[in-house]
Amino acid sequence: MDVLAASVAGIEQVRVRLDLEKASMSGIVRLTGILSFGAFMMLTVGCQNQTEQTGQGKVAVVVSTLNNPWFVVLGETAKNRSEANGYAATIFDSQNDTAKEASHFENVIAGGYRAILFNPTDADGSILNAKKAQDAGIPVFCMDREINSTEVTTAQILSDNYSGCVTLGQHFVKVLEEKGRYVEILGLVGDNNTWNRSEGFHSVVDRYPDLKMVAQQSGEFDRAKAMEVMDSLLQSTPDIDAVFCGNDAMAMGAYQALVSAGKEEEVRVFGFDGAADVIISIAEGKIEATMMQFPKRMAEIAADWADRYLNGERDFPSKMPVAVELVTARNVDEYVPYGKEGD
Amino acid sequence: MIDGQVRLKQELIRFQSIIALLLMVVAMSFLSDNFLTTANGWNILRQISVNLCLSIGMTLVILTGGIDLSVGAVLAISGAFAAGLLKNGIAFSEADLLIQFSVSGAILAGLLMGLFLGWFNGLMITRFRIPPFVATLGMFSIARGLTMLWTKGFPITGLGETFAIIGTGNYLGIPMPVWISAALVTVFVVVTRKTRFGRYVYALGGSERASLLSGLNVDRIKVAVYTICGGLSAVGGLLVTSRLDSAQPNAGLGYELDSIAAVVIGGTSLSGGRGSILGTLLGCLIIGVLNNGLILLDVSPFWQQVVKGLVILTAVAIDKMSKKLQ
Repeated sequence: MDVLAASVAGIEQVRVRLDLEKASMSGIVRLTGILSFGAFMMLTVGCQNQTEQTGQGKVAVVVSTLNNPWFVVLGETAKNRSEANGYAATIFDSQNDTAKEASHFENVIAGGYRAILFNPTDADGSILNAKKAQDAGIPVFCMDREINSTEVTTAQILSDNYSGCVTLGQHFVKVLEEKGRYVEILGLVGDNNTWNRSEGFHSVVDRYPDLKMVAQQSGEFDRAKAMEVMDSLLQSTPDIDAVFCGNDAMAMGAYQALVSAGKEEEVRVFGFDGAADVIISIAEGKIEATMMQFPKRMAEIAADWADRYLNGERDFPSKMPVAVELVTARNVDEYVPYGKEGD
Repeated sequence: MIDGQVRLKQELIRFQSIIALLLMVVAMSFLSDNFLTTANGWNILRQISVNLCLSIGMTLVILTGGIDLSVGAVLAISGAFAAGLLKNGIAFSEADLLIQFSVSGAILAGLLMGLFLGWFNGLMITRFRIPPFVATLGMFSIARGLTMLWTKGFPITGLGETFAIIGTGNYLGIPMPVWISAALVTVFVVVTRKTRFGRYVYALGGSERASLLSGLNVDRIKVAVYTICGGLSAVGGLLVTSRLDSAQPNAGLGYELDSIAAVVIGGTSLSGGRGSILGTLLGCLIIGVLNNGLILLDVSPFWQQVVKGLVILTAVAIDKMSKKLQ
């Protein structure tokens, strides 16, 4: 009996691995077609044999992008949890493009999926997509990012970027003892999370006149870009006390620039996300603080609620905020990358 | 005689870029006290080194009348490939075998990956007659997908101090990336001006039909050019990875546009046959000075993009007008 269970678990793992490969291969499959029709057929057939149904039907995980490890964790957790709940689950990558997201929704609706775990690309642009699913009778559960209509979603499980940055701002003020010069490195300037974070931070910090922002530049949520920006900023404003970065990748980039300039001891770096590198760097005393968002927690709640919905439950809160927690050297040992110890 | 005229034109075009660059440097040094310092000078040179690697390859490709849209994606997979081999090696679980890589082995593997993907581009373009735009667009997606497969979407970090030298080290007080890109510029200036291969590249871009009729092995030259471009993208990938001590799954996003911009600002004609590596160096410097200067002046990130676009348009417009006058 145990042997049987073990081998079933083994098969389950193999299938999970193959499905992961499938998700990231979709881009390749598309273009190989241009180059060689034969290879296209082989790859397509190779990918298709994954979609055999299990007893409970299929769940779609539509993620805004897989170009950032944070969203990879969100998507994979949602998928794994759904599979643990007895569904076949597939990840769709919208590549930060609301139009691609729309065609994913069309395919999901046509493909007979029973629920959608949704990480939208755009708070307004994604409303129509969710509405299409709702009209087709498929429940939509938002993860991490919200859309500006609770009528088209069954529930939204959200990370509160604004109030997270309010907390971070309060800690920032405390660490700097209410005075000093700092720079802010923003995320992508066209992304609403960039501004939610920035505004939350400034709602606190701007009340202290002795805390002066000497520059505000965009690092596009990217490590290399943030390092370049920080390199240049250290030329124009060498005497600063702190850097606030809109995500953890940029915090790592800024830290690297400070190391090359020999200023890593004097300048405190603040990030946002709870990414692996930064959790380790906080433990090593390199980065001052970050805000832990809980992608695994949010994805698991969404997957479980979808399961409960499909088993007849209808009573879900339309919005459910998942708290974002401050991580500093003081409490860093309670945390692991993308979550808490024992999550 | 005709050759002399062509050369004169090229010199004039190069002169224009120098004037534009000088004007920018003078303007920036008036606007910001921190611009014209030695530290900031090295800073700019270090920042343009990656774009310079890509742009040298792009110049050769554009000189033949082609285009390579895959440079940023090839940069990403080459850097990630080297980083993954260095960090984890390759495991063959069936044979219970783990192959570990030394720093130089990993670097070599990264370079070979770039050269191979470039060669594949060349093969598609020559053997299957796929237009360069489409062939390299295909490679763009393939290399991006391979990077995601290889990294599983997570950065590969913690690559050790030896590997960090090529991106962060100094030799004689000059940053390593500057040495590397300067060496590449020197080599390819000589290659384009003094070798038979260089003359063939220009000839091919001037008129492919004429080159074919005069007995040049057009296909072999093209394959060589795309292979070199892939290899130079890999050098860029190794530099980025080493500087960040991390191979990012989305490294080099949009770099193909930066390098095309540098080549065009440097006076190389998109229709091929006319342009130079030194022009491209100036193009990279102009973009580098602009990026750096706009940040030093704390210009709003919204405006920075507009200004960059205007500079590209102005550079090309002046280039066109001056040719009309001649």
